[in-house]
Amino acid sequence: MKLQLKLAIYNALSKALVVLAFGALMPFIVEKVVYNHIDQRLKARTSKVLRIIEKGGLNDIARESDCTFESYNILKEEFILIEPLSGMKDVKPTVITNEEWEIDGEKLNHRIIRQSFIYDNQIYSLQIGEGIDSLNKLKNTISKVALWATILTIIVSIFVDVGYARLLLRPLNEIVERKLKGTKDPVHFNDVPVETSTLEFQQLDISITELMQRIKAAFMTEKEFISNVSHELQTPISILKTRFENMLMDEKIDDDVADKLDDSIRKLNRMSKIIKSLLMISKIDNEQFLKNETVNIKALLQEIAEDFQEHLSTKNIRLYMQHLDEFEIQNANRTLLYTLFSNIITNAIKYNVENGQIDISATKQSNVFVVAIRDTGVGIAKENLTHIFDRFKKFNKSTEPSFGLGLAIVKTISDFHRLNLHVESEANKGTTFRVEFPIEPFT
Amino acid sequence: MNVLIVEDERSLSHEMEIYLTKQGLHCDVAFTGAKALEMMWVNSYDFVLLDIGLPDTNGFEILKEAKKNAIDSAFIVLTARSETDDKILGLDLGADDYLAKPFSLPELHARMQAILRRKHGLKVQIIDINGFMMDYQNRTLTFEDAPVVLTKKEFDLLHYLALHKGRVLSRSQLTEHIWGDVMDDDYDSNYIDVHVKNLRKKLAAHAPIEWFETVRGIGYRLNAQ
Repeated sequence: MKLQLKLAIYNALSKALVVLAFGALMPFIVEKVVYNHIDQRLKARTSKVLRIIEKGGLNDIARESDCTFESYNILKEEFILIEPLSGMKDVKPTVITNEEWEIDGEKLNHRIIRQSFIYDNQIYSLQIGEGIDSLNKLKNTISKVALWATILTIIVSIFVDVGYARLLLRPLNEIVERKLKGTKDPVHFNDVPVETSTLEFQQLDISITELMQRIKAAFMTEKEFISNVSHELQTPISILKTRFENMLMDEKIDDDVADKLDDSIRKLNRMSKIIKSLLMISKIDNEQFLKNETVNIKALLQEIAEDFQEHLSTKNIRLYMQHLDEFEIQNANRTLLYTLFSNIITNAIKYNVENGQIDISATKQSNVFVVAIRDTGVGIAKENLTHIFDRFKKFNKSTEPSFGLGLAIVKTISDFHRLNLHVESEANKGTTFRVEFPIEPFT
Repeated sequence: MNVLIVEDERSLSHEMEIYLTKQGLHCDVAFTGAKALEMMWVNSYDFVLLDIGLPDTNGFEILKEAKKNAIDSAFIVLTARSETDDKILGLDLGADDYLAKPFSLPELHARMQAILRRKHGLKVQIIDINGFMMDYQNRTLTFEDAPVVLTKKEFDLLHYLALHKGRVLSRSQLTEHIWGDVMDDDYDSNYIDVHVKNLRKKLAAHAPIEWFETVRGIGYRLNAQ
């Protein structure tokens, strides 16, 4: 999951949590505020009523008979009730409660303050009530408005967050896309610094660039080394070869000497070829070959078969390619794949019998594409089968020819392309090489 | 025909000089890039055989410099480095051909002949091989106007031998020319015998070919009749 997406999800979740908490607490907060407000008002009224009584006496406002007083406003939103408390000696503490109060047969919720006072040696109770049904409605409205405002704010802030995160993470994305994913080989590494004011990204960019430059330096050193080894070894071979060729042109030399010179030239050719092969293996191992081509295997096999026609005819070997499925391998090196198949076919010709046969098939299966190359040659002894891809493996029987480096190169190239190699062989019947290309499920 | 050999390995330039002189070419040798450029100003060369790894400069620089100054010699780049990029670069810079070391001297000579044919273009060149007339451009061989049908390899083989008439070419030299680098000459040199056998059969159907000689079990030679 991308960092940017993770941040966005985290932001959204944490804010949703805030909304939930706020939504849950909101009614209580509003209620608290509202009651606080009413309580202040009730207390103020209580004091006012008590002041009036103190000034003018209770008789002014109370009824004669039982000294009680009742007053309701027209909407029954408020009332004041004063009544004497019989049998009470002490003044009770002031309390504020919510009660359902029946006024003229209509039950309404009220917040009521009860305070006792002494007048004329008699304890009275003063109750002032205020209807809270309308307040409860107000409370709900305020809660809703507050909740919606919060949700809206949070949605806006999520968008702002995502936008900002994108802006903030742009250098990181660029480092990943351009410097890591976009780098196929160290030589083509793009070392232009990523523009950013974020210190951590600057450091990351510098570290990656430095690392890649070190790899590039090592890569170039290796490349130069291989090139120099080639130069140092091929030059003396070149000198000897041309010298022997010149000597061989001399008509005066004995047949015996001529034979030896000719043989020496062949040995030099072999040496040169071994050096080339070793360097090729080394170059593949050191990733000096690019894998940036899409190769049509069917077309490649047909091309190789065409190139080998004359070679086949010298031993009168028939080459059959009856079943070739279409397949393209991506991120491959065509020259190397050509070498891979031509080395196998070279062996198939080399160890084949006169008038022999070679069958090449290419079959697409569910998750693998298989190229099978079967010959009717001498075959490979079972105990040697596991060693044929080794470099310079010597076989027990001295009569059996050495496989040289041809198959070692085959192995190196198939490892380089992550292919699987299988060999089956039966003495005097022939050998089958199977090269398996994994098919990526999504390509 | 003037040839400039630019090669710092003295033993190698010496052997090249011996061989090409025997082929009737006049050779000068330069061991450094600076010397080579100097000699190219002073003299006019048909061929410059240019080594890439020179002590004072890179052969490609010489090639660039020479092309910039409109030196019209044919350039054959010689290199012992293993880079295929070198080949592409050399040809891109205007070299006429490219040979990897270790090369074979008759192969070098054949490449030079091929360049000459290319440079002097359309003029049809007929090689007379003791009565067999070879037209390389059209890849035909006739004897007294009767066509002799050869495979591509047989034609190349006969042409290569005809180019070096009177000189022995060994099986490995012939293999190298016909197959290039693909083959392992350990086992392929007798393939040449198969081709030679077929070629001889086709030629002998028209005229006696004692001039097509097998030499010392090493190789083959076309002699003058």
